[in-house]
Amino acid sequence: MRRRRWSRGAVGAWLLALVVLSALVGPELVPYDPIEPDYRARFATPSAEHWLGTDNLGRDVFARALAGGRVSLVITGAATLLALTVGLVTGLAAAGLRGPVDVVLTRAFDALLAFPGFLLVLLLVAMLGGGVGQTIAALGVAGSPLYFRLTRAFTRQELQRDYVTAGIALGASHVRLLFRHALPNFAGALAVQAASTAAAFLLVEASLSYLGLGVPLPTPSWGNVLQDARAFLTRQPWAALGPGLVLATAALAFQFVADGVRDRLDRRS
Amino acid sequence: MLRSLTVQLLSLVGTLLLVLSLVFVAMRALPGDAAAVLGGTEASAEQVDALRRQLGLDRPIAVQFAAWWGDLARGDLGDSIRERRPVAQVIGDRVPVTLALAGLAFALSVIAGLGLGLLAGRRPGGPADGGVLAFTTVGLSLPEFWFGFLLILVFAVELGWFPVIGYPTEGGAGVRAWHLLLPAVTLAIPRAAQLARLTRARLLEELHADYVRTARSKGVGARALTRHVAANALPGLLPLLALELGGLLTGTIVVEQVFGLPGLGLTLLGSISARDYPVVQGVTIVAVLVYVLVNWLADLAQVAADPRLKYA
Repeated sequence: MRRRRWSRGAVGAWLLALVVLSALVGPELVPYDPIEPDYRARFATPSAEHWLGTDNLGRDVFARALAGGRVSLVITGAATLLALTVGLVTGLAAAGLRGPVDVVLTRAFDALLAFPGFLLVLLLVAMLGGGVGQTIAALGVAGSPLYFRLTRAFTRQELQRDYVTAGIALGASHVRLLFRHALPNFAGALAVQAASTAAAFLLVEASLSYLGLGVPLPTPSWGNVLQDARAFLTRQPWAALGPGLVLATAALAFQFVADGVRDRLDRRS
Repeated sequence: MLRSLTVQLLSLVGTLLLVLSLVFVAMRALPGDAAAVLGGTEASAEQVDALRRQLGLDRPIAVQFAAWWGDLARGDLGDSIRERRPVAQVIGDRVPVTLALAGLAFALSVIAGLGLGLLAGRRPGGPADGGVLAFTTVGLSLPEFWFGFLLILVFAVELGWFPVIGYPTEGGAGVRAWHLLLPAVTLAIPRAAQLARLTRARLLEELHADYVRTARSKGVGARALTRHVAANALPGLLPLLALELGGLLTGTIVVEQVFGLPGLGLTLLGSISARDYPVVQGVTIVAVLVYVLVNWLADLAQVAADPRLKYA
């Protein structure tokens, strides 16, 4: 097979950098406010001034897509980090302390896993109410059982190795063994999983906001920009196509990054 | 393994009891007061109090909890606040649409996913493999609802082959399937992509096994080899299939919303915004029970299909 010059991981990293950059500086470069309505400019078709036209309130769709990217990416990143942290800490605690702590934690996370994934997020958001922080919390909680299970299994496996016995004999503390010796051995596997989780969270957040349960209007997110576009789909298809394409690209980038990290780890092991 | 499956079942029952208790607590943690909602904006404080007594919401929480379990054990899910009739009836009215949609989507995803996965796994690195890889990558990145928009724009609006949204209240199975095809395709694409990836991985894993090399060196034909490899590789797909099938009962929510299908998902969404908590609770309980049961049955089926697991 011919050697590919661009690995999937590299393409993913560049795509992701592009998307993040556009969300970071894009809103500063576009001379339109993503939230303030302008009733004189409703339903404009795409033009040099309004690349994706304007919506039913006269807001520039391109500006809203860029500003929405900021919100969506922040939620995705923060929620992934939250799921990872919660799962990691509880997983290490369960595997390290064993006994009742292990039993209670395992039961609790099993209970969360008894819900179909999307239903759990939906119920949590309904319970907490909409908002950026609430959506992050709901996604974080719903995503944490996976990381708990992975961390617990990996840690138990590592704790049975000879180097741990040697470490105990040499007087290393429990905490030191867990964080300095066991954790680095499976951190890579968790990183791969985190990139896949981010891709999934990006799409779940969009679905939630699309349904009107995640980020409340008028704050834009990729999901609720598309919700606005749905109502005028046949009249203004470009308002739905543009932001959706960016969202799909971002999800693709996260997936490529996950594949890239996985390939790199596989080659090493 | 059979014994561990029994242990698993007992543990599952324990988990379910815990989950249902969680649902009770969660429903009372939801914002809003059922009595105030039912009373409407014009109700006086006395009227709301009377309603609260009527609904039994003034009793101590422990008494409510016990009564709730009693009702549940008799299969009574309570009454819908919005529709003023039993929740079980509401669910029963709406579930056929969702089941038809989920069934069609599941069938499509299994056919496409298995087919593409086997196609890709037969010659890894070949052109078919590359094509399938591209399909699965895109399929997993598509926002479900947005892909639904695309299908509506192309096939319903431009070409006019399919109805844009909605579901007929009458008409035969053919008419109904016509309305369900675009939403089912929308649901099937990401699921088929996931299944194709796993099928390919399982097939490759199996083709590299020692027994395949031995069989080949002894001159076993392609057809006989396929049978052996399939018998070993396919049961490993059951857990993923169960996750997909079990999750579809509530996994259709977004697509029902996009295509305006009056199923369980739309009912759940409407009940959340109308604070009709008995319905939210009922749908949740049914969805959780189905999900857990389907997954457990898949574990059983996997053992039945792959006798090695009995001794694992």
